[in-house]
Amino acid sequence: MGSLDGLFMDSAQLKDVLIKADAPSSLLLDKHADYIAAYGSKKDDYEYTLSEYLRMSGIYWGLTVMDLMGQLHRMSRQEIVDFIKACQHECGGVSASIGHDPHLLYTLSAVQILCLYDSMEAIDVDKVVEYVKGLQQEDGSFAGDKWGEIDTRFSFCAVATLALLGKMDSINVDKAVEFVLSCMNFDGGFGCRPGSESHAGQIYCCTGFLSLTGQLHQLNADLLGWWLCERQLPSGGLNGRPEKLPDVCYSWWVLASLKIIGRIHWIDKAKLRRFILACQDEETGGFADRPGDMVDPFHTLFGIAGLSLLGDKQIKAVNPVLCMPEDILQRVGLQPDLLS
Amino acid sequence: MKESCVFIIIVNQPTHVSTSVCFYRKELMQCGVLNPEKDLYLGKLSLTKFPKSPETWIHRYVLSSQFVTLCDQLARIIYEEMKVCCDAACRYPSNYNAWSHRIWVLRHMAKGNIKVFHDELSSMRPWVSMHVSDHSGFHYRQFLLKELITELSQSPTNGDLSGAEAVSEKQQLIFSTVLQLFYREAELCSDLIQSFPGHETLWSHRRHVFYLWHQWKQHHCSSTDGDDTGDPAGPTGGSQEQSVNSQRHAGVPMEVDRGFLADPHDNKRLRRGALPSCPLTLETEHVFISSILDSCCNSEQRSFALAYRKWLDLVIGVQS
Repeated sequence: MGSLDGLFMDSAQLKDVLIKADAPSSLLLDKHADYIAAYGSKKDDYEYTLSEYLRMSGIYWGLTVMDLMGQLHRMSRQEIVDFIKACQHECGGVSASIGHDPHLLYTLSAVQILCLYDSMEAIDVDKVVEYVKGLQQEDGSFAGDKWGEIDTRFSFCAVATLALLGKMDSINVDKAVEFVLSCMNFDGGFGCRPGSESHAGQIYCCTGFLSLTGQLHQLNADLLGWWLCERQLPSGGLNGRPEKLPDVCYSWWVLASLKIIGRIHWIDKAKLRRFILACQDEETGGFADRPGDMVDPFHTLFGIAGLSLLGDKQIKAVNPVLCMPEDILQRVGLQPDLLS
Repeated sequence: MKESCVFIIIVNQPTHVSTSVCFYRKELMQCGVLNPEKDLYLGKLSLTKFPKSPETWIHRYVLSSQFVTLCDQLARIIYEEMKVCCDAACRYPSNYNAWSHRIWVLRHMAKGNIKVFHDELSSMRPWVSMHVSDHSGFHYRQFLLKELITELSQSPTNGDLSGAEAVSEKQQLIFSTVLQLFYREAELCSDLIQSFPGHETLWSHRRHVFYLWHQWKQHHCSSTDGDDTGDPAGPTGGSQEQSVNSQRHAGVPMEVDRGFLADPHDNKRLRRGALPSCPLTLETEHVFISSILDSCCNSEQRSFALAYRKWLDLVIGVQS
């Protein structure tokens, strides 16, 4: 981190980046499609191997961004569907890769991928529902897996998975809502557990959760909107908490949250767009967390998805709750609530 | 065999049999076969009939000592966890997971332990002073403060048999302890804001502290209808009650700030005249903001000060 392309300001002053004059300023869609299409073709690539523990999510990021760019046909559908089949365990949960343990995170990613491909029959849906249901705790929270880590991210994963399968009623929704609301802080934001610090990523998960469960009215939209738009820095980029550096993935977590609560106009869109575009790598394609850093599929998805939310016409419309193309969700018949 | 032991303990003939039985049960407890709590209960029953019984008291002493050991163990675990979290926090700025875990440990292992929360608040003072950008570190202070004032405010005075005077004394002590906590926190915050201009974390901390104080005052000074809400989670869900343009608090700063004086049930406090002034009033906050704006040339500091003023106006809902 800290290449000259994204100079950091004096840390005694504001934590932010300076966008160089020659930073990319137009959208390089073709380069990004080529980057994702080629990603993972060299299976013995070091970084690719190291990220095996999250492979299912990596595939979801790659496929979603390709579909948003109208390039899904370039990906290996059958190979991926077979891979997912091989990753569903007896308990119903899905793991990140073959031989890894099942987890809610990768169960959601798998369901999202199968939704994109309209191939839900590839896995045992009833078992998935059973797995998700089994992870709900007495206080309404959800564990990520059998080891029991509790986090509001998992509340989101649970309801998102079930919403895509049309099986939300298999859990105790009221209790789940009660738990998430217990994680609301005075600033309108949410943390990972009751009493935890507000964090943009957790806020996205909780607002998404409340949207899917029809409980957005429980939010203080003005207060939360204010906290969220205070994430915007002079560079135009967004951070996740006060005094953190901007990161393109927060262009998603923050922006999507603002969209859900009907306050997206509170952000300076032009400045944010400029920041996101500056995070592109003109040579390799793809987006990095901030200008000049190494690109990866995760930031590529959220950069493109962020631009879509900002209204870029070259990109398909993205759903702010599920981070999936809107037309896919229309096919499934899922239209989560948004505040106006 | 275990059931016949129970009979012997309750009957408690002071014979070598009952002594041997207690010894036998202690052995079983050491092996983890028996739970000491049951014997404590049996002992309690036995003492209703034989209140002096030395065997019963000795047995009780041995059982209770085990809990002291457990307490020591718990204290050690808490200390260890605090240390691990602190080390991790030092290695990575604003380490969300480390601080989140630290909060979880205290919430679950030190619930209601005022001393632990107080000690943590003290020991964190120099740390945050050297890490003024660490939002998680300051959030931890907000958590400690909230737990402390919640715990203090829940100190039972209902059904206290020592009389109205003593209850009032107790309440006064609680009020002044809470006031002192807020005074010190406000002072720390002001010092750091002035010493380290342009740090959003410090201004964010100020908002939190002000809000905590504001909520606490509302809850403990204006509830004169005898309704014991006993709701420590009030501030947690408080944001739901505060809409940005809420009229609930509009134009009533003095009433809220005179909360202590407004309590009609406790004239003795008035007469004593020992009422402390409030550490954080809207007036003092606006004065503080003005002083910062007048004296600083750091543009970030200015914009944070202005944002704080806007927050006070809109969220606390009072005209400046």
